[in-house]
Amino acid sequence: MSKKQVSRRQFLNYTLTGVGGFMAAGMLAPMVRFAIDPVLKPSASGEMHPVVEVSKITNTPQRFEWEVKQQDAWYESMVQKSAWVYVDKNDEIVALSPICTHLGCVVDWSSNEQYPDQFYCPCHGGRYTKDGVNVPGTPPTAPLPIYEHKVEEDMLYLGRAHDRGGGV
Amino acid sequence: MHRGKGMKFVGDSRIPAERKPNIPKDYSEYPGRTEAFWPNFLLKEWLVGAVFLIGFLVATAAHPSPLEQQADPTNASYIPLPDWYFLFLYQFLKYQYAGGDFIVLGAIVMPGLAFGALLLAPFLDRGPERRPTRRPIATGLMLLGVIATFWLTYESVSHVDYEQRSEQYGVKEEGEGPDINTDHPGYAVYEANCLSCHGDTLQGQGSNPSLLKTEKSVEEIKHIAKNGIGNMPSGVFNGSEEELQKLAEFIHSAATGGGKGGEKGSGGEGEGGSDSGSGH
Amino acid sequence: MLQKIYDWVDERMDITPLWRDIADHEVPEHVNPAHHFSAFVYCFGGLTFFVTVIQVLSGMFLTMYYVPDIENAWKSVYYLQKEVAHGQIVRGMHHWGASLVIVMLFLHTLRVFFQGAYKKPRELNWVVGVLLFFVMLGLGFTGYLLPWDNKAYFATQVGLEIAAATPFIGDQIRTLLAGDPEIVGAQTLARFFAIHVFFLPAALFGLMAAHFIMIRKQGISGPL
Repeated sequence: MSKKQVSRRQFLNYTLTGVGGFMAAGMLAPMVRFAIDPVLKPSASGEMHPVVEVSKITNTPQRFEWEVKQQDAWYESMVQKSAWVYVDKNDEIVALSPICTHLGCVVDWSSNEQYPDQFYCPCHGGRYTKDGVNVPGTPPTAPLPIYEHKVEEDMLYLGRAHDRGGGV
Repeated sequence: MHRGKGMKFVGDSRIPAERKPNIPKDYSEYPGRTEAFWPNFLLKEWLVGAVFLIGFLVATAAHPSPLEQQADPTNASYIPLPDWYFLFLYQFLKYQYAGGDFIVLGAIVMPGLAFGALLLAPFLDRGPERRPTRRPIATGLMLLGVIATFWLTYESVSHVDYEQRSEQYGVKEEGEGPDINTDHPGYAVYEANCLSCHGDTLQGQGSNPSLLKTEKSVEEIKHIAKNGIGNMPSGVFNGSEEELQKLAEFIHSAATGGGKGGEKGSGGEGEGGSDSGSGH
Repeated sequence: MLQKIYDWVDERMDITPLWRDIADHEVPEHVNPAHHFSAFVYCFGGLTFFVTVIQVLSGMFLTMYYVPDIENAWKSVYYLQKEVAHGQIVRGMHHWGASLVIVMLFLHTLRVFFQGAYKKPRELNWVVGVLLFFVMLGLGFTGYLLPWDNKAYFATQVGLEIAAATPFIGDQIRTLLAGDPEIVGAQTLARFFAIHVFFLPAALFGLMAAHFIMIRKQGISGPL
């Protein structure tokens, strides 16, 4: 008899856990989906913004700034972005993000007299060569991110900055 | 359980080292028929809870929670209504001896007495008798209170049209931006003369109707702008005859759906038309 | 596996007596709807607690998006309801749950009253229960303002006028609630949010704990 009692008790315990689990799931499923929504939202499309006329771009990197309309949920604002833009040896336009991959300072082109043809980060002395690759032995461990770009009617359009793997 | 001499503890803690078996206590000799809370009774309770939850979720999915337009403290035409469980108090204060000069009586003294009596019920109704029929005063007062609350609640909303309210005060999504041609020469005139009452997109607010669905002709709109209609006083519009013409054409074009086009001379249709269309 | 974890914790914490306190009590037949259907009236209290749990959970999740600020409150509610997945459901649960909890509390109160279950020795538990009712009404009142839409704003103004009718200290009470003697605005919303999310829930949890401990100590009142 006692054995039967135990099995009935166990059965009730399992059913109880099941019903409890169902209630918890019914309550929490919509809430959890609600909470993790930002993770599941598709990332914003890589919209391209006009930055500068192609004719103004030279072989020397120049810093250009433009504004992007940023939609942060219910809050809309204009955010300023900037890029170092130049034409490389193959006549390709290169647009580099000025954000140092070390700790997020803003790098400058040949601002340090010792390294005239490099990007220099004033915060910790990080350096990058002209194509944005970090100089070994300086703090950064990855190259500067590169912007998507396209040219339309003599206007340079920039999109999102992409990380390039493989630092030196 | 072991007590006194020879007790052992886990480490230097106060937890006894002796394990107690995790088995239910024995209630077999407990008077009356009973059943164990865990798991027997709780299972039944949770089954009720699960059914309840399903019903609740279905109802929630079927009825989106309402959200009206963003609070606008300058909106003088809004008729406030509290959440339903405060309606009885809201209605009570409308009566002569509960509101106005007697607001202290209606807002503080009477509810204070009622809720105070509720709070102290065990000390007011002290007899040993539990059956409601054997304590007629307590039962009678409670019934009176419940009926009064129900009746006041009913009275307060019997003339309220919730559908109309939600339509009038709700968020109007289709009336936003894109339908309105702000480049139309009449829009500037609208902005100067009408926007403060009829909203920036002609959507109306409070008891000021939306202009988006008006079926009036250009001539009629011109007439109303100058002479008013219903609650709208005359002389709201002050500008030249030319501006008036532009304004009426703008409103007419927005209402007839040609908001983008804003073409001239569409006054032909609806000329002999209805005289309603000013909302409700 | 589970048993091993339990034993490990039990060795250190001695949780078996605690667990048996929660799980071990006999429930009399007269409150069991499986025996006589009319016993369903005893479910109202438990269902009130259940809806309260839903309210606490949905409220916690809503604060992930909601901002108590007059510029953004309405926008954030509109956003979470329209743009966030299941936002409509989660806000709906909190909105309709608020009404449901009042209904259930009302029914539970009537059951206890008409059965005379508040008589000796359960007087204190009734008092705590009525206080819980007041706290719930307070939560309803403060929560009504938070979406910052027209009905919230104007209903709160009426409510504050009623509070201001208190003799002698009416204006002080109103200012204390609204944060300003005249304006119903930024400070009011911040205060109502704090009251709704921290102060009243704290009171609610304390009172609920007292309510349940007393029920557990005294047991359910006998049949009529």
